Amino acid sequence: MKIIFVLLITASLFLEATVTTIPLVFLLLLFLTLLYRSYWIFLIGFLSGILLDVVLFRTLGMTSLFFVSFSFIVLMYQRKFEISTLPFVFAASFLGSFIYLLLFSAGNLIIFQAAFCAIVAMLVFKLIHRIDIVTS
Amino acid sequence: MQKRSFFYIFLLFLFLSIFLLVLSGLGLTSRISSAVSTVFSPLQAISYSVLSSTKFLNNSQVEKLTRQNQDFQQKLVDQQKLIADNKALRDQFQTQNPNNLSLLPAKVIGAAGFIPGVSSPETFTLDQGKINGVKVGEGVVYKDIAVGKIDQVSDSVSQVVLITNSASSFTVKTMNSSNLGVVKGQGGGTLILDNVLLSENLTTDELILTKGDMNVNGTGFPPDLVVGKIKSINKNPSALFQKAELQSPLNFETVSDVFIITGFK
Repeated sequence: MKIIFVLLITASLFLEATVTTIPLVFLLLLFLTLLYRSYWIFLIGFLSGILLDVVLFRTLGMTSLFFVSFSFIVLMYQRKFEISTLPFVFAASFLGSFIYLLLFSAGNLIIFQAAFCAIVAMLVFKLIHRIDIVTS
Repeated sequence: MQKRSFFYIFLLFLFLSIFLLVLSGLGLTSRISSAVSTVFSPLQAISYSVLSSTKFLNNSQVEKLTRQNQDFQQKLVDQQKLIADNKALRDQFQTQNPNNLSLLPAKVIGAAGFIPGVSSPETFTLDQGKINGVKVGEGVVYKDIAVGKIDQVSDSVSQVVLITNSASSFTVKTMNSSNLGVVKGQGGGTLILDNVLLSENLTTDELILTKGDMNVNGTGFPPDLVVGKIKSINKNPSALFQKAELQSPLNFETVSDVFIITGFK
């Protein structure tokens, strides 16, 4: 499953660099954080952020800083709330992608894109949950 | 104990990111960025060509008609220029040859928009960079149609902010009456012609051309590039200026080759 996620992040990196402004890498990193809650998520966030910075002409370290900080905030929340729930996925993906697009995107459909990301995140989360039930 | 180690690992990556950010701000990471981008640009080009060839909205007939339309518009502009040149020559004014620009062909290797195939891209990534002589601010054209301006350059690739991007604005004139105005990108493929005096007369379907803002270094747009056609006019008597919505003759989603204006010949 971890290898699949790494491959998906690589594919998303190319998609973000070529055809879309949807923060796919960020969404995958959010799912990794929710599912594994492990320290290597910071490493993946850091590396994927650097690569995104290079291919999207951003100041090196900006996206890494955002990814590492956001993963940490999500992990902080697990002490007080159950983070693997649909409302949390919606709130985290909407707020996270909204801030991400506000910081890094020059487009004018930021709220619309953030809402789209939140809906996609909820659908993927439901799918992962269903796969989890079937396989367990 | 585990919570504490989590925090230390987070701090490590946080400091690494900040360190990189500072180095990048001081311009010390440009070689690393260029090396990584040189490795990535061929892969980016391959993935873009694969993804753009599988776009479900590609329609060859529409493409053919769009190209024909662009050619007709270009002929119309050329004819208008010829008439203006003849008039100027008759009046014994010297005319400047508009084709004295040096152009660098470039392939589009990235065109990021919201939903691929549905929404218009905001930027283009081109396969030409500093080593090919590309500079920030240079104009990018397709035939004689304005595409955008170079915004960022690395050694092997460059980024173009399209004329439809909300960060883009430049001076223009109308083809028939030479009324001046400013074209502002609105994002999502839309263009607005603004700052046109209320006393000036705008007509729908009139072509809008660049006024020209090139400097001695050869950066900027040359005059008489096609920007778009007036789709609708918003003339409010109480406003200072009138506005118009424009339609670019170019379908930015399907453009694969462009030309960078690198200066004068």
